[in-house]
Amino acid sequence: MRVIVIGAGEVGYNIADILSKEGNDVIIVDKDEERLKSISENLDVQTILGSGSSPQVLKKAKLSQAEMVVAVTDSDETNIVACLLASAQSTSPFKIARIRNPDLSGDSTLFDKDHLNIDLCINPEREAVNDVINLMEYSGALEVIDFAGGRVKLISFYIDSDCVAIGKNLQQLREIYGGEDILVASITRGDEPIIPSGKTVIKENDYLFVFARSEDVRDALRFFGKKAEPSERVFILGGGNTALMLAELLEKKGSDIIKIIEKRQGRCEMLASRLDKVICLHGDGTSQDLLKEENIQDADYFIAVTNDDEANILGALLAKQLGAKKAISLINKVDYNHLVPIIGIDGVMNPRRASIGKILHFIRKGKVISATPLGDEKAEAVEFIALETSDITNKPLKDIDFPKGTIIGAITRNDEVIMPRGDSVILPGDHVILATLRSSIPKIEKILTVKLDYFG
Amino acid sequence: MNTRNILYILGALIFFLGLTMFFPLFCSLYYKEGDFNAFVYSITITSCIGGLFYFLFRPVNGKISLTHKEGFLIVATGWFLAAAFGSLPYMIYGALPQFGNAFFESMSGFTTTGATVITNIGNLPHGILFWRSLTQWLGGMGIIILSIAILPLLGVGGMQLYKAELPSPVKDKLTPRVAETARTLWIVYIIISIVEFIMLLTGGMDVFNAICHTFSTMSTGGFSTSDAGIAHFHSAYIDGIITFFMLVAGINFTLHYGLITGNFKAIFRNSELRLYLGIILAAVIIITISLKQNLFYEAGGYLRHASFQVVSILTTTGFTTANFDNWPSLSKIILLTLMFIGGSAGSTSGGIKCLRVLLILKYIYKELYRLVHPHAVTAVKLGKRIVYPETMASIWGFFMLYLMMTVVASIILAMLGLDMMTAFSSVVSTIGNIGPGFGAINPSTTYSEIPYLGKWVLSFCMLAGRLEIYTVIILLIPEFWKR
Repeated sequence: MRVIVIGAGEVGYNIADILSKEGNDVIIVDKDEERLKSISENLDVQTILGSGSSPQVLKKAKLSQAEMVVAVTDSDETNIVACLLASAQSTSPFKIARIRNPDLSGDSTLFDKDHLNIDLCINPEREAVNDVINLMEYSGALEVIDFAGGRVKLISFYIDSDCVAIGKNLQQLREIYGGEDILVASITRGDEPIIPSGKTVIKENDYLFVFARSEDVRDALRFFGKKAEPSERVFILGGGNTALMLAELLEKKGSDIIKIIEKRQGRCEMLASRLDKVICLHGDGTSQDLLKEENIQDADYFIAVTNDDEANILGALLAKQLGAKKAISLINKVDYNHLVPIIGIDGVMNPRRASIGKILHFIRKGKVISATPLGDEKAEAVEFIALETSDITNKPLKDIDFPKGTIIGAITRNDEVIMPRGDSVILPGDHVILATLRSSIPKIEKILTVKLDYFG
Repeated sequence: MNTRNILYILGALIFFLGLTMFFPLFCSLYYKEGDFNAFVYSITITSCIGGLFYFLFRPVNGKISLTHKEGFLIVATGWFLAAAFGSLPYMIYGALPQFGNAFFESMSGFTTTGATVITNIGNLPHGILFWRSLTQWLGGMGIIILSIAILPLLGVGGMQLYKAELPSPVKDKLTPRVAETARTLWIVYIIISIVEFIMLLTGGMDVFNAICHTFSTMSTGGFSTSDAGIAHFHSAYIDGIITFFMLVAGINFTLHYGLITGNFKAIFRNSELRLYLGIILAAVIIITISLKQNLFYEAGGYLRHASFQVVSILTTTGFTTANFDNWPSLSKIILLTLMFIGGSAGSTSGGIKCLRVLLILKYIYKELYRLVHPHAVTAVKLGKRIVYPETMASIWGFFMLYLMMTVVASIILAMLGLDMMTAFSSVVSTIGNIGPGFGAINPSTTYSEIPYLGKWVLSFCMLAGRLEIYTVIILLIPEFWKR
């Protein structure tokens, strides 16, 4: 598949990385020559210098032969124009655009077939905000990812030193837990993801991804010694669009107290006019006096969402030190993710990761519904519909020749959620959720992509 | 540095090289001239050693990625090893029993130099002759690039190797994938080779000679199958065909790809191509006049020899139809200058390359322009693209390094007792991957008289010249080996 990625920022880079490693022909267009140079050294992709909204440049990138266009520059307008050009020059490419302006992304009719004709609009901030809301619902988890319409959740957390699971292998863990209801999908130890077997032993500081039914999530978190209650009092540092979206959603959910701290007077006024129950504070979010005055020690959550990664991390640390129960930082730089457990932040909000997950979901072939990168993005969780003609249906799981390092996390049939064992059978029409290493993705796709689909 | 990956890739490369020896093996099987065993042994040794490394050091999980450093190291050692293993047939058959001589011949083949230490080439069996020409053809577009194209063992790492081997200061990819780009370049190379092969057949050459000469023309190598070279055929038609295809092989293969895919505009606008053709035209005119004034050949011979020799030297092929060492000194000076310039970037030729010369000229013009207009904001441009000061600096660095290497190597050869012209022109000729030179290494003689140590120095020059100096010299810098 020929894919044109416009914009070589973090999202563009990562999408290009994943797609090219999966064997697609990727062309990256960007205006920054230095950036392109470093990309061409790290990825097996073609780079073209120029503006993504210029027809000449896109022609040079052979837009007419592209099967997919991913426009993820900083500018909404450029992204829209690039997709429009794709509609004009090429027969039927798949178009994905990053649209950050909430005014634009709110209007869904604008992007339909009759108007801009963009297949998928992504607002990274909105995706990230959704993740955070999920996280606050289950405050012990570092990440919460929905599958099967929210009925199955994939939660992640670090193993603390006092956790009962330390030193146990997964089989023993099941016995202690007393049920089949949770499934460890992946363990990240150091930098490498491990897709575990029954004999894998859990150690302190492992980063676990666990599948569970949504109703069991709280029990599972408590079992691993994590807090599971929803949060009521929330502080938000920074008053940008992310903060606004977050506050709006929290308002809807009915959180007790929401406070936004913002430096700019004008922005505060604007926020105050848009939000009803929210308290807008004008001042420096890193000022101890202000935080104390506003009873930071009672806060369930402190969420730092300014544009500055470092300020977010420091703000979150300060808040925790002053007594906030949990602190989450918006961090764009993926390199900082390793620091999170060390410095004591409870969670990370990563718009980039959120958008990548959303884009991957659309890119996957076959009947894949959703795909999400896990941990360091070397592993991935995939949800798909099992088709009658594929090789996996109507036989016990243990007889299916899955690539190494693949774990079936859950099967949903109509309204029922099945946590699978070796003798479970996948029936046609089931939703199957699995975790696998990224290197095995093409093989998984081969198993899932059905012969009949090519003819029908 | 990941030694395991390096050994694995080198193993694959050597194994692959062993397989290419089957072609001369078939040839010797057909002609039955006693070189069959030499190839059987060479194939066994090369493939076994390569295969062993390939097997022992195969990566534990999936694809390998390489750093820049590893890329340089693999390419430089890969070429060294290719030349070393490629010398086996010469040694085992007994054409060149001494390793230093066989290595020189093999290195001269792979680097498309065309300098030989064998006298009485015509007496060699066909298999050995075929191997000589085949090494040139393999080396022309690059053995590493060939292995990237064929072996699916490299992901991103391929780019590092591609960059370290491709003879061009500008390293763009034609297609999104480096393997695909490598394949495209090779396919273009093969297509043009086939065309030349057919053209030579129609000129009355037999199949064996047509293949061998196609190999050494397209790679701008210059190995022939007889001592007299192309003059052996006494045919103006063959001279013309070979001149044309040397000219083609000296042009950037990206342009050939453009021609095949119908992108004619880019070709006419290409300023490097214009300079390349301009240099040829000017040199042909000057040399024709110079020869005519000195009444060297019968009427008609001037232009034929002048154009053949100019193209052969500028493209760094090194075929000869005449002994230019006897030509008037104006002609010789022109040819010596051409040896430095070389063909286009991204072609199979050697030398400094027209593109670098072009950019240096543009840079000098820009400096002069700035003296006239001190406040003017200017940039060196190539087509519509700005050439960044960084790139410019690396071109200047290359230029200086090229000259320095020439000087240092010439001094070493002079210390070994060679006369000035021989010492200097042999270095210029090997570093530019040309072949013949002036003095004791003129077209009618060989390099066999060069002292043994001198041959090693010249072998090194050939390797450095083919890999554009940086790739080889960088291994000699202590900084490279620091952790």
